[in-house]
Amino acid sequence: MRALNRDTIVAILLLLFCGLLAWSSLHIRLPGYGTLKPSTWPQIMVGVLTLFSVIYFFQSLSYGPSWPADKGRSSGLAGFFDYYRNPIVCFVIYFVFMLTLPWLGALIGGILLVFALLTVLGGWTPKDIVRHAIYATVSMGFMWSLFTFGLRVILPEGEIFSIR
Amino acid sequence: MENLIAAFHEIANIHTLALMSIGAMAGLLAGAIPGFTIAMAVVLTLPFTFSMTASQGVATMIGVFVGGLSGGLMSGILIGIPGTPSSVATTFDGFPMARQGRPGLALGLGVWASFFGGTISAISLIAIAPQLARIGLEFQPWDYFALVFFALTITASLAGENLIKGLISGALGLLIATVGEEDINGVSRFDFGSDYLQEGFAFLPVLIGLFAFSQLMSDVRDRAEAKRSLAQTGDIDIRIEHMKAAKIVLSKWGNLLRSSFIGIFTGILPAAGSSISNILAYDQAKKASKHPEFFGTGIEDGIIAPEAANNATAGGSLIMMMALGIPGDIITAVMLGALLIHDVIPSPSFITESPVLAYSIFIAFFFANFLVLFLQSIALKLFVLVTRVKMYVLAGIILAYCGIGVFALNNIVNDMWTLLIFGVVGYVMRNLGFPLAPMILGVVLGPIAERWLARAVAISTDMTNFITHPWSVFFLTLSLFSMAFGLYQRDLNKKVWPLYYSPVLMLCLSPGMFMMEGWIRPVIGAALVAAGLYGLYRARQKAAVFEPSSGASA
Repeated sequence: MRALNRDTIVAILLLLFCGLLAWSSLHIRLPGYGTLKPSTWPQIMVGVLTLFSVIYFFQSLSYGPSWPADKGRSSGLAGFFDYYRNPIVCFVIYFVFMLTLPWLGALIGGILLVFALLTVLGGWTPKDIVRHAIYATVSMGFMWSLFTFGLRVILPEGEIFSIR
Repeated sequence: MENLIAAFHEIANIHTLALMSIGAMAGLLAGAIPGFTIAMAVVLTLPFTFSMTASQGVATMIGVFVGGLSGGLMSGILIGIPGTPSSVATTFDGFPMARQGRPGLALGLGVWASFFGGTISAISLIAIAPQLARIGLEFQPWDYFALVFFALTITASLAGENLIKGLISGALGLLIATVGEEDINGVSRFDFGSDYLQEGFAFLPVLIGLFAFSQLMSDVRDRAEAKRSLAQTGDIDIRIEHMKAAKIVLSKWGNLLRSSFIGIFTGILPAAGSSISNILAYDQAKKASKHPEFFGTGIEDGIIAPEAANNATAGGSLIMMMALGIPGDIITAVMLGALLIHDVIPSPSFITESPVLAYSIFIAFFFANFLVLFLQSIALKLFVLVTRVKMYVLAGIILAYCGIGVFALNNIVNDMWTLLIFGVVGYVMRNLGFPLAPMILGVVLGPIAERWLARAVAISTDMTNFITHPWSVFFLTLSLFSMAFGLYQRDLNKKVWPLYYSPVLMLCLSPGMFMMEGWIRPVIGAALVAAGLYGLYRARQKAAVFEPSSGASA
């Protein structure tokens, strides 16, 4: 048996997730018609996932982590955030884009999304900012036109500017 | 014949051909750019296909698929980095040949080998798929369920190095598909009182989130790499030497045919895609060569073999999807999902029930090879331009496109949230070493499996039907062996038991064949028994002198 490692923690989280799903599957409404109950298939799947998670758990304890640690990553929370800065920032920017979508709409929100992503990922010297603003406006303008006029998709209309 | 003509009209019109050309060009570029995958390109094409007819949509995606397979050779030959895993072996001889001052010929050999490999594969698709589908017409719900169950067990083969993580990934995919209202009774499951979860997860946002979003995040994770141009190619002015290359490829017809058939066969095998076939074909070409020592130095056969094989694999995987409704690899899983969006359910009766669409796919695949051949020279110029773009610029713009694209599916903002959720899930899973392909298979096949199980149980609750129907027995037996396939791969050449895997499989498959009607299949069953017994005898002989290859004990 080895010490707690990343795989073991993931296995424990998976088992907790299985427990949650198993509990939820007990509350699936049974309509009283149909031969295969709506809960049968999900319960089988939860059972299968639980079985695999248990095997994963014991495997992780017996053999240690099956996946190499991130190269060049410092230990601790600061090291984690530093190493994964770009993906985390991108997820956060996309999240903010989603929150503001009802107000800004797809066009303005999209331009701001691309601009923010490019600036955070590529740098913010005055030259970069101008270039990113142009890239964002042209690319989103093209995409918006393509979907709106080419594919006849009604993209989310922003409350503030009332532009689709 | 009428269906063939109708299908020809569906594809051979300016609108569809233009869409296919755009798709092929996009595929060529995506395949050429290291870090972008063909699966990602096909997934990103999906939003555009909603406003198209089913045949146009699938034709466009086939354009991307074939283009992607051919595009990988450009970066492999010119910069020594394979654009996709399917072009890894092309780099072995393509890059040295380009460095010797013959990049035009190297590209030409790759382009023409891809074309001939794809064309041979297209002919095989047209010849084999309908024959295979006829067998499917005999299937009853028990057989269908066993077939889909078999496809689900393929997840074990897709798991790669870590079997248990692949299986967990597949099971998670199956569970994701159960969230929300089910099709049969309309009962909501795993909604936790949330309206969002009650609607369930739409297939496309899940797919784009898992594959495209998470891939983009992986591409920009390293800050320095994200700011670099895709490749430092400089100014390239190359003309593909078409005439000379075509003559050489045809003169090496033995290698071409062998590699193409390796590609087709690998494509038919579930879960064994073009990333495997190109290396297998290269290896066989080297073994068959009179001068194996020249391989790796810029030899013509070393480019022809992998490129013919990887394009031929596409036809093989389409055979399985069209004839039996089983996605052979991740790309055909995406196409299967696209057909589902157009309310077309690929199954053994697909070719009979939707002959025009089926033949449209055949013709589109055939045409796509010609289009890619024609577009390769233009794509080369665009590729040089695209390589000057920095990765973060592409990633930022494509990410925005992903968001807008998934909205186009149902005009529902919630789908954009789903994209984000599965983007995070996909990224976390990638970083923890969980393969994503089994998850996608689970999401696609889960509802189909449940539907057939419900139909089977509705007809009869007698579970022995699963072991009394011959095809069901056949597929369930295959499933058992498929589940053990990951262990087989792990222990091959290390332990004794894998020596018995194939003979025992043949013996176990024979009862299903004996149960079938007519005389041909029982005869095949008898042949399986004979081959199995001989295999056991040979395995026993080998086991007696067996020595494990790397320190493992028998």
